[in-house]
Amino acid sequence: MKRLAMGTTLAAVLVVTSACERPPVEVVNVGFRGVGMEHVENPRQLQDSVDAVLGREPTEGILPPLGGDPAPPGTHQNVQVLGHLSAAEFTRTMNAVTQWVSPEQGCNYCHWVDPATGVVDFASDNNYTKIVSRRMFQMTQDINANWTSHVGEDRGVNCMTCHQGQPVPNNYFFFDGRSDPLRSYVDNAGARVQGTTALTGEGDNRQSIKQTEYTYALMIHMSNSLGVNCTYCHNSARFADWEESTPQRVTALRGLRMIRAQNMQHMVPLQDVWPENRLGPMGDGPKLTCASCHNGAYKPQYNAQYTWATDWPALTEIGYPNPPAGDTTAN
Amino acid sequence: MAMLSFEKKYRVRGGTIIGGDLFDFWVGPFYVGFFGVTTIFFSVLGTLLLVWGAAIGEGLAGQTWNLWQISIAPPPIEYGLAIAPLYEGGLWQIVTFCAIGAFVSWVLRQAEISRKLGMGYHIPVAYSVAVFAYITLVVIRPVLLGAWGHGFPYGIISHLDWVSNVGYQYLHFHYNPAHMIAITFFFTNCLALAMHGGLILSVTNPKKGESVKTSEHENAYFRDALGYSIGAIGIHRLGLFLALNAGFWSAVCIVISGPFWTRGWPEWWNWWLNLPIWF
Repeated sequence: MKRLAMGTTLAAVLVVTSACERPPVEVVNVGFRGVGMEHVENPRQLQDSVDAVLGREPTEGILPPLGGDPAPPGTHQNVQVLGHLSAAEFTRTMNAVTQWVSPEQGCNYCHWVDPATGVVDFASDNNYTKIVSRRMFQMTQDINANWTSHVGEDRGVNCMTCHQGQPVPNNYFFFDGRSDPLRSYVDNAGARVQGTTALTGEGDNRQSIKQTEYTYALMIHMSNSLGVNCTYCHNSARFADWEESTPQRVTALRGLRMIRAQNMQHMVPLQDVWPENRLGPMGDGPKLTCASCHNGAYKPQYNAQYTWATDWPALTEIGYPNPPAGDTTAN
Repeated sequence: MAMLSFEKKYRVRGGTIIGGDLFDFWVGPFYVGFFGVTTIFFSVLGTLLLVWGAAIGEGLAGQTWNLWQISIAPPPIEYGLAIAPLYEGGLWQIVTFCAIGAFVSWVLRQAEISRKLGMGYHIPVAYSVAVFAYITLVVIRPVLLGAWGHGFPYGIISHLDWVSNVGYQYLHFHYNPAHMIAITFFFTNCLALAMHGGLILSVTNPKKGESVKTSEHENAYFRDALGYSIGAIGIHRLGLFLALNAGFWSAVCIVISGPFWTRGWPEWWNWWLNLPIWF
């Protein structure tokens, strides 16, 4: 009996302690000293994550920038959003995007092969992936050109930020019971539920418990997506107060607005393009969340340089069509 | 103040912890002793330094005499375990040193009085648990995390901000297993003290004309109500056990937050989901 009790206790202690971590840990001040505004990291776990990111760096097909004037009219057929590139830069970009998105599947993941002749028809839009891919170029151009307040002036994002060498990124969401809070954020303007007066009944706060839960779920979504705690953005004594929040909260708010804009402008319009097997349980296409880019890191891919838009004019400028041959009004 | 008949017998010099008879005397009812003097020294110095800190406006709130807002903050985390400049947490370090000096002196004074009276050391041991909890907050955990900046600030509102923010660093502190245990001990301790207090007041306040009830009534009550009476000494052993565990597990719950767990506490419970017992 005594032996059993000791054995059980020992097993319980082992299970519980094996669930823990060990010092030393890394902590960064994000507020005034002493008030507990801190970001806590386990440096060993962080190193593992960073190593995993570095291990995904594409090694083939990424050339230095070639630049050059836009390709003359008629260089390409059916190029709608990359007409601002030179022919060389265009090819460089196509090689890179293959490494970023479909390294195993190759060019023909998007480009259609005529089954009769076995010849690739680069201009064809027969594959839905090509249409999606074009939309994704537009989205990335939009993000890098118009959302520098979130992605930074000199960094930006490229395909690799979300795709990490896979045709389908790791993180996105569909409409279902569990994603209601995210759906609410796609549809609505604000996540603010806290009253501005001390007592309920005063003021005009009409927020319900459900809306409050939605805000909480959104906050936990951001926490999980970025691998950060509440105090990364908020002073928990006064969550809603911008003056006592960290600068990261402003970046996060812009990120939320960016996600909403991109979902509305680029993801939702693809609804009719997706084949059956890319749709969620309620029949809608995939949509972005914070985790799509961040993948659990406070900076996507821990700011690895191979995820930057820098040196990729295909992604940093809003593109336009390559005009047909003989078009003299171009440029 | 009247002196109990046996007190005179014990009010003799000697039996001090450090030996000799330095400060081995009474002032009115109070025993002074060497550790009484060090207690006064550290507590007066520490308190005056707090007042001085308020005067120069050392903390987040700047200069204020608003009792709620005065705050003496620890150093920035960047200073690590070094001695910080006086106005950037150095004051907090000196005050912390004074506080530990005063608390430990008080423990030793309690031990010295116990020794002179020939009693057990239960009181200094019990008080040591509270001191241990404080030292856990401002020394053990900061050392494990590698910076004095992890101590809590000395201010009424500011230390509540610290509690709140540190709690939210782990997303939901109520999922901290040691916090659960500590809270359970606090509540159980409260329940036990309330029942014990109620019992004692009920038997010592008889109706007019009746006599005070004895322990037989006390035992009979709880045997009728619960089937078991823990007894007169037993309830005090239980009380000590509950109270010390409440303080001890409080210290555990904060020392594991950070040094032994960096993520949200709800996530810690994944060990349950990871047990190899699920299909």
